[in-house]
Formats: sequence, structure tokens, C-alpha cells
Amino acid sequence: MVSLRINNIEVEVPDVTTVLKAAQIAGVDIPTLCFYESVPNHASCMVCAVKNKQTGAFIPSCEAKVQEGMDIDASSQEVIEFRKDALELLLSDHVGDCEAPCRISCPAFMDIPQMNRLIAKGDFSNALKIVKEEIALPMVLGYVCSAPCEAACRRKPMGGAVSVCMLKRIVALEGMSEDKPIEKKNKKVAVIGSGPAGLSAAYHLLKEGYDCEVFEKQSHVGGTLLTVSESQMPAQILTAEVEQLVKLGMVFHLNQEANPVLLIKDFDAVIVAVGENSIKTSLQIQPETYTTNTPGIFAGGSVIKPLKMAVKAVAQGKEAARAAMIYLQGNLLTEKSFFNSKFGKLKEEEHTEYLKESVDENRMEPARGFIAGFTHEEAISEAKRCLRCDCRKSQTCRLRNLSAIYQADQKKYNYGERKTIRKYFQHEILVYEPEKCIKCGLCIEIAAKNNALTGMAYIGRGFEMSVQVPFNKSMQDALVNAAQECIAACPTGALSDYKGEDNILPQISQINTDNTK
Amino acid sequence: MTKEMLEIIDNIVAAQGRTVDRVIPILQAIQTVFNYLPEDALARVCETTDISPSQICSVSTFYSQFRHEQVGNHIIHVCVGTACHVKGALLVYDAFRRELKLNDETDTDVDKLFTLNKVACLGCCTIAPVVQIDDITYGNVSSERIPEILADFLQQKNNPGEVSSLGKPANSIVKGEIRIGLGSCCVASGSAGVKEALEKTLNRNNINVNVKQVGCVGICNQVPMMEIQKEGEPPVIYTHIRPEEVRKIIGKHFKPDSFIDELRNRFYNFVENLAIEDVPVATQTFSPEKRDNPVTSFLNGQINIATEHRGEIKPLDYDEYERLGGFSALHKCLFESTPDDVINEVKKSGLRGRGGAGFPTGQKWELVKNVVSDTKYIICNGDEGDPGAFMDRMLLESYPFRIIEGMIIAAYAIGATQGYFYIRAEYKLAVKQISTALEICRKKNLLGKTVLGSSFSFDIFLFEGAGAFVCGEETALIASVEGKRGFPSLRPPYPSESGLWDKPTLINNTETFSMVSWIFRNGADAFNKSGTEKSKGTKVFALAGKIKRGGLIEVPMGTIIRQIVEDIGGGIAGGKLFKAVQIGGPSGGCIPASMADLPIDYESLTSAGAMMGSGGLVVLDETDCMVDIARYFLSFTQDQSCGKCTFCRIGTRKMLEILDRICSGQGKVGDIEALEQLAVKTHQGSLCGLGKSAPNPVLSTLKYYREEYEAHIQGKCPTGKCKEMIRYEIKDDCIGCTKCAQRCPSDAIEARPHELHVIDQEKCIKCDVCKQICPTGSVITI
Repeated sequence: MVSLRINNIEVEVPDVTTVLKAAQIAGVDIPTLCFYESVPNHASCMVCAVKNKQTGAFIPSCEAKVQEGMDIDASSQEVIEFRKDALELLLSDHVGDCEAPCRISCPAFMDIPQMNRLIAKGDFSNALKIVKEEIALPMVLGYVCSAPCEAACRRKPMGGAVSVCMLKRIVALEGMSEDKPIEKKNKKVAVIGSGPAGLSAAYHLLKEGYDCEVFEKQSHVGGTLLTVSESQMPAQILTAEVEQLVKLGMVFHLNQEANPVLLIKDFDAVIVAVGENSIKTSLQIQPETYTTNTPGIFAGGSVIKPLKMAVKAVAQGKEAARAAMIYLQGNLLTEKSFFNSKFGKLKEEEHTEYLKESVDENRMEPARGFIAGFTHEEAISEAKRCLRCDCRKSQTCRLRNLSAIYQADQKKYNYGERKTIRKYFQHEILVYEPEKCIKCGLCIEIAAKNNALTGMAYIGRGFEMSVQVPFNKSMQDALVNAAQECIAACPTGALSDYKGEDNILPQISQINTDNTK
Repeated sequence: MTKEMLEIIDNIVAAQGRTVDRVIPILQAIQTVFNYLPEDALARVCETTDISPSQICSVSTFYSQFRHEQVGNHIIHVCVGTACHVKGALLVYDAFRRELKLNDETDTDVDKLFTLNKVACLGCCTIAPVVQIDDITYGNVSSERIPEILADFLQQKNNPGEVSSLGKPANSIVKGEIRIGLGSCCVASGSAGVKEALEKTLNRNNINVNVKQVGCVGICNQVPMMEIQKEGEPPVIYTHIRPEEVRKIIGKHFKPDSFIDELRNRFYNFVENLAIEDVPVATQTFSPEKRDNPVTSFLNGQINIATEHRGEIKPLDYDEYERLGGFSALHKCLFESTPDDVINEVKKSGLRGRGGAGFPTGQKWELVKNVVSDTKYIICNGDEGDPGAFMDRMLLESYPFRIIEGMIIAAYAIGATQGYFYIRAEYKLAVKQISTALEICRKKNLLGKTVLGSSFSFDIFLFEGAGAFVCGEETALIASVEGKRGFPSLRPPYPSESGLWDKPTLINNTETFSMVSWIFRNGADAFNKSGTEKSKGTKVFALAGKIKRGGLIEVPMGTIIRQIVEDIGGGIAGGKLFKAVQIGGPSGGCIPASMADLPIDYESLTSAGAMMGSGGLVVLDETDCMVDIARYFLSFTQDQSCGKCTFCRIGTRKMLEILDRICSGQGKVGDIEALEQLAVKTHQGSLCGLGKSAPNPVLSTLKYYREEYEAHIQGKCPTGKCKEMIRYEIKDDCIGCTKCAQRCPSDAIEARPHELHVIDQEKCIKCDVCKQICPTGSVITI
């Protein structure tokens, strides 16, 4: 047995134990990327590094063995900075999008690619479910959204951007997805203003189980949405949308001017979403946090800063609601840190790589005109044009998750020319995107362990080193039965399941089926 | 695949073996036959051996030696080693690209006649820049001479000179000895031609003299060199000899044996009449007994331990080696000492590893000895990949028996059963000498079962390294012998505990082994008499760069830099100012002229930000840009990084990107700080010596020459070395000879006879040809 200290915690472990294992025994958490228990270990990523206090050296805990009397620092600021540096270097050579540019540019962060995929499959109901995760007024936005997503769409130079807005509209109109609040929180929130921000805030609060009452000084619900012309959006759309909200439990007080400072006495929280033309209250608003100088009172939408885009108002309503929920739960709900890898414009030669996953058609114009929108069939073929730019491992990618935790900055070392993206497929099973690879070599080892006939190999050395199929054979023959294990072990989205993480979908379908029963 | 090819591959496999560790020798054998590695051949190897497609592809793309594309009939190797770099190797390389009309995609010309290749170091640093086309080496090459060199090569190929088979006449009295150095450097400078001319002359004139091919003479800057030893006469050294001059030199010292042949008689008279008058102009002659000539100054201050009997012994003459005391140390160890005695003596000598880090040798031996195991290995690390270093090569070529003896002694001390020489495959002559020497040793029972009748059995095999600088790192070297990519592994466990095939393994550098026998013959105290307190004995350096006299030198530890540069090296050539020495190559650093009184030993070099490294010592003058030097080394290390660890793989690349930016005038404020931080992180975050020391050239130049970096950020390269930051112009004193216009490869100069010529800056590609060719020195860089 060997005794050592990790973060000043004394542990005694068997001789051949790794520092990582010893840390686990001591209850100290160390992140890993290139480590995978069932194959020979070759530390390379250095994300699991700890500092040997006696020598001052940073050592990879996943491979370094314990030594008698070792004194290990696994969590100081210096160690954290070191890991962050390792992550930032890896990220500078990791060419890929975690989230598709459309989703990043959407103020409401709607999962557009996922919606597109479901539409392509003809599953409009689950597509609507995805939309409603982020968007309170899908029908309305299906007409009036200025669609910044389409401006960012990678498909743009290849026959035009995917017609996202109109796809969202058909999903909202034809998808069947009834919202059902999760368990009641028994807390009451007042929302002042029934424009896009106010409705959005109220919607998200209701979905989370809060009771919600909307105060509107006008006689109609909708705020600025009432000013939209008939040629842009038929009036009944707003009515239908409001009906949905009432069904969810939204209570409206029309013709009622409300004062947040007074309302807070009767409600657990108040959200001010009165738009830009309404009378400003005496509240001081902190735009970044959606809070005000009065605890419990929040603000969102054009009341902060005049917004031209309805979708921005909808997004801000959601954020204000989120801020209120954090407050109502006693600040227990903390904001998860976010990381998104991105690489800028596609190169001309990458178009073909991306088109491997799509159809070579131009942007669809609805045969029946703008107001009527897409038919079912049109929607399905338009959705198939989506290039699947989002990563298939956006949830489970360990590089992404650690980058979020360590707040790594991808741009820090992002100079020099970026590598050209390629995509390889094992038919409907696996996708390999070498430019996302961090060269841990796990797939090589796993393939060897599984006696895969061809396997994978390191090709070249140094910065130009890549992991490829030997003799330039097709990916089809490389991993064969080892594919699933490789996908699971791969710490990034370099090797991913062809079906992506849509395995979270069965759960959604389940909920949906329950709803329709 | 053709039937012939199939047969060749199967024969190679049958000869080399089928286990996974045979992959590198198999690949080398295939490349020897086909000049590259045809994919079909590799697939066939996988079918018939334990080697998997993954392994063969991984390994064959890791090592620089292997080519996957067909090449031209002739291969041009442009040496880009440090000494060549500072003398303009990249301009030479670019000039070849232009001359052969190569586009960015290919290195082979349209006619498939030539393939152009950069090589890390040909080890001919003293005649830099060096280019090797097949087996013909050209020294002191300039970009302007490329067409001429290609033409010369083709002419030599088409009209191969008559090779005469020569022998000594029997039954005649030997009149003396002529020693001629035939190390790689010497050969590259034309010694082979001199030797041929010498043999022809002696044969034709029936002069019976011993012609002795000695190894590296060390004085590489004076070669081709010949020493004439004649009884009753003081020895005479001739330097810089040309083949056509040999006849005259010989005539001056020796007379033909017989006068029967009229022709020969006439020749004799001719020689008698002419040669006495003087020695040909280009050749210089010196008496080694007189002081104050380049040769004696060069040799002054040197102590020969690793290079004992330098320039005197014939590398493969076993009897001579024995006569000079060879293998007596082994006898002493085997029959008069216990392994512990041997280790204690080495410890007492204070010998430290000459590979760079300076770990005490005796202690290392003891560590391996103390591990209990039925199998132990010993490896001689001769994987000298450092650009600008050629010590190992010269030692291996010139003193094979000495190194073998050192290895056998070490093997006896630690109880090793098997040994390996790991020598770069590029070192053709070294490989040849060592394998012949090993064969001789086996015959003499110095190797094999029961060595010299003792109870100790031991044998040594030769492994040819396939070109990866990282394999100088002991764990990477072991991986390579095992048939893997040269990925280093985490230490501990150290090889002394778990090395080759997981067995205890002792790895020492070539130079370390070459000092062992001397220590036992002369005693540990004789060895530790020279050197400093912590660094004992001598160190061999490859001295090159901007000095007057370069070569292989062996000096006591603690010798100051100034003494090496000024006394041994003769100071800076061309009247320029001494600026710095780069010590230790890519792992080392630059030490400025202001610190010329620094004694060279492990500790003082490390504290000055450099490193002993393998012992490359490149002298820089005032025209060398220190930022460019840093970039040069970093481009080397980033290219040689194995790619395993994040900080080395990506960190060195990012540092290089910043340096590229700075050297091309694109540097931004903050770049220097970013570079410095990355350098520190790369050092901290790399697991092996390559990555850990890769930032040294950057850090040491930042330490002593930060103002040069700052000048670059402000848009000026103070020395005018950085191509992108300078422009060429023609001064008013241009005589209008039109030479520059005729030779300009990009038509940037219009020919206007007798008028002032002008360079079109838009068209100028900064190839330097005009500057080199201008007879009035009117082309300048700004």
C-alpha cells in the first residue's frame, strides 16, 4: 500500500493505483478526456493534469502511478488554469460547430436543426415540441419572425438558406403538442404587458408550474403584435395563439394598468414587459440579469431597450421568466455555463462534404403563396435540405462539457489556417469527422481490441497527425462491430452515432403519446 | 501486384521475420528495393506477418525516412541543418524548386528525373550549405549555382569516371604512410576523389606507401586533408587538396621504385622538376609540429578521449585497435573486477550522460544492475537527429571498436544479455562500420556466448532508426525498436526498471560509451582531473557556423565559449562580429557574445537558458537574426513533435504561427507576451524532453534579444534576414553589366546595358541571386 495526500486529504491505496483512481477514492473529482478504462492508457490530452507539489511538475493523473508520500494538488487555481490551457489548445484545433449557426443566431436559441430533422421524418408533433421548448408563440413567429437563423444558415450558398421560419409555421399550425405544466409550484407571478415579451414570460412560467396572471392596460391581448398587417399575418393567428395560452392556464386582466411596486405585495414575483411606449416606472433595470432594484421585480422586452424583432422580445420574455424562477427557488437554480465551438464560414470545397448529408435542391418557395405557406410535402422536402451542421454529440461531448465548466475560450489560440472539414460514414451507423478529433487514439485501441480487420491508424506525426482508416479504405470497413464502443469512448463529436442524440426523442414521443391519450 | 513484386516482398519478410517488431526493418528493405513504399507491398506484408494494417500505416507515416510516393531517378537532399540554415539553405531549396519547375503539390519534376527533399542534417556543417544528389555531395552551395550543379551532376552521371583497380606492388619496401580521412564530412568535401587520385598516382609510379584510410580527422574545415608520414622527415599535412593536385604532392615526397618504364621515368622527371618548386596554389601545407597554423590552433586545447588517436587509426583495423590498447579495459573488467567494481570506477570518474541531460552514468548503471531480471538490455543511442550535430556519426564511423568495448563493459556491469545499436539509417557509413565491427567482434569472441572464455555472454544487434528526432528520447527509442511509432511514454517507470519489452534497459549515448574504455585504461582519476566540479572529463562538440574553422572538437568540460570560438574556431569569418553561439540545437538556446566567458558544463549552460543537448555548437555573427533562429528551431521541433501530448503538438505549432507572423512583418502588439506564455506552458505541459525543451530557443532569445523581437513587431528586421521584411535594391554604382537581369528568375530586372538597373519590387521573389552575382556589390537589401 502507498499513502499519499490529494488536496491535503490522506489516502492509502494499492501500489499500482493511478493518481486518478486514488483521487476518486479520496473523493476528489478530476476531469478526463482521453482516458478510457478498458484499453491500454496513453495519457495525451493533459486535461486530467494535477500538480505534484514536491516536484512542481504537472502530471497526467490518469496514467501516473501513486508514489509513497506524494502530495498532489488537484484543484488549485493554478491546476484549473493549466487544464483550461489544455482545453483551449485542443479547441484551437477542433473544427466543428457544437450548435448549428442557425440556432446560435436565434435569439430564442430554438433547436432548429432538430426541428428540421423531425419535419423531414414527417413527425410534426415532436417538431412542435422542440419549438415550444424555447418559443412561446410559434404560430405568430411562424409569420412575423425576421428569421436571423436564415441569414446564418450554412445552406445559403448552396441554393439558398433553409426556409426555417415557414417550416416552424407549419409545425405550429399542424403539429399536435399540448403543453402540460409540470408539478404545481404554488407560487404566483404577475406579468405586466401582453406583448410578445409578456406572453413569452408568462408561458414559460406556466410550463414550469407557476401560476401566472397577465395585466394589460389595453382591451386586447397582443401589444405590438396587434399592429401586424393582415398581409403579413392573418388576425386569427394571434387569437389562436392566445387560446392555446389560456388553455395552459394563463389568466388575463385586460384594461388594467398595473403598478409593479404595488403588485409585488400580492404576488411572489412580478415581470414588467410593458414595451417601449408604455410609461416607464421608477424601476432601475439591470439588462444583463433582467432584474430591477426591487427584489422580486423583473423586466424583459422593449421596456429595456426598444426591440425591432418579435423573436428578440419572445427570447427576452423567456429570460426574464428564467430570472424570476431562479429567484423564486431561492437562487438554488443556477445558470449552467455554456460553451459553443464554432468555426466561421464554410470553404467552397467543404460544400460537397456537407451535402453528403443532404439533398441537392434549391430553396423551396411555397406553391400556394406566402400566407398559405408550405404543404406537408413541401415542408418535408425543404426540411431535408438541412445540412445537419449541429454536432451529433452536442449533449454528451466531453470536450464541450469540460470547456463549459472551465470556461475555455476557443478563440484564444485560434490563429493560423483552419483545417478543411471532411465527413466519413459507416452506413447509417457512424459518422467520422476527423477535424473534431483530439487525437486520443481510443478508437485505434478499441478497434485493435475488437480485432477489427482494418481498424484505425495514426497517420503522420505532430500537428499534421490524423486518425484515419489504414490504406485509405472506406470507413465502412474500419470499425465494423467496434463502432458503438468507439462512439461511446470518443471524447468529442469526431466519432458519433449516425442517428445523433435523437435517442432522447423516444422520451419526447412518450410524453406526446401520453398527452394525446 | 506483379508476381515479381510479390516474390520480392515475400523474400523480404522471410529474411526479416514476421513478428510485429520487424516492421521497421521490413519497411526499410522494401524501400531499398522500390525507392518508396508501394501500398500493395504493405498490404502483402500485413497478409503474411503479425503486422496489422493499422500498425504498418501508423509506423510508415511516422518516420521521415519512408516515402509513399514514387520518386524521380535522382533524389536531391537539401540540408536544412542549423549551419546550412544560417548560410542560406532555404534560398538554395527555393532555387531548386524554381529550377525544376516544381509546383506546390509535388516534389518531383515533370520528367521524373529529380525529387527534391529537405533533410534535417547531413552532418557536413563545416561546408554549409550542403546539397546531396544521390551519392554526390556539393558543399558551399548558393542559390545562384543551382543550374551549374544540376548540369554537373548529370554530366558526372552520364560520364562516370574510370575506376581503376589498384593494388600495391608486391615485395617492395614500404617507404612511409599517407593518412587520408574518410569520414562523411571528408567524403562530402571530395576526399574520395583525392583518395582515388592518390591510389592511381602511387600505382602508376610504383610507389609503395601505406595508404591509410583513417576516420574523421575532426578538422572538417580543412578537408580534403592528407598527412604524409615518412621516416626521417617531419610529418606534413596538406589541406584543401584537389584530386588533380595529388600527383604533384606525391612527387614531392616519394620517388618511383623502378626506372624501367620510360614513360614513368619521364613522369618522374616531370614531377621532380615541377613539384619541388611549389605546391599548387589552392592547397595549403603545414607541419603539425609547428605552432600557429590553422591546424595546430584548431587542435590546441583539445583533449582526445572519445576521439583518442584521431586521424591516426583505421576505423576497422582490429589489430591496430588492439595494439593501441583496445579491449584491454574489457579484459581488466571481465577478469579482474566485479560488476560493482566496474560501476564504482565509473562513478568515481564522474562521467555523466553525454546525450544532453547529464545523468550520472555510474548511477544509471547501478540502477539497472540492482533490478533483478533474467533478461536485461543495453542500447547505444546513436539517433542523432539534432540539426547541426554530427558527433555521434563521427564517433560511430571512426571508432566502432571503442564504442563496442564500452558497451560490453557496461553490459558486464549491469548483467545485460543483449544489446542494440540504434543508429539513424541516414548514417550509411556509420551503419556499415558498426555492422562490420560487430562481425569482427563476434569472430574474436568479444561478443557471443562466454565472452573471451569468461562466464559472461552477450551480443549486440544493429537497429537502423528511420528518422524521428523524438527517438533520441529513450522511451520513444524503445517504442521504435519494438516496432511502434516513436511515442515517448510517461516516466516513471524508467527504462532502468521497465524498458525494452518491459525488461530493465540501460540506454547511454554513443559518446558516453566511447569514453568508458579510456577511463579503465587510464583510471577514473585521470578522467576526473579534467573538467569542472560537477562536469568531469571532456565533451565532443560539432563546431560550425560563422567561424573560420569548424569541425569535430573534444575539449575539457569547463572550457569557455570564447576559447572555442576564437582559438579553436579561429574567430568569425569574413570580418564580421561575433554575436552568439547556439548550443544544444533545438533543445538548447543561444548564448550571447557578452557571455563568452561562460564555461561550458551542464549546470552553467542550463542556468544560462541553453542546454548541453547533444553538443551541436553553431556560431552566429552579426548578420544572423535571432528571431529567425528561434523560428528555425521551432519549425524543426514542431515538425518533429510526435503529436501525442496536447501542449507539444498544438503548443509548438501555435508558437510557430506567432513567430511566422513576427518574421513576416505581421506581428502585433502582444505577440511577444503571448509567445512567452505559450513557451512556458508548452514546457510545463509536455511529457517528454522534446516538448519540454522545445521552447528553449525561444525563451533564450527572448531573454537576451528581446529588442530584436520588438523591432520586428515595429516592422523592421534589424539584420535584414527575414525575407518578407526586406527588399532588394540596386545602388547607383551599378555598371550596367546586365548579369543580374540575365539571371533573375522572375524577370524583375530589365536588361539595360551600361545603365543603372532597377528591381521591380512587384516581381521580385527575394531569391538573392542578383546580390550573389553582382560583380560590383551594388545589390543591397533594405
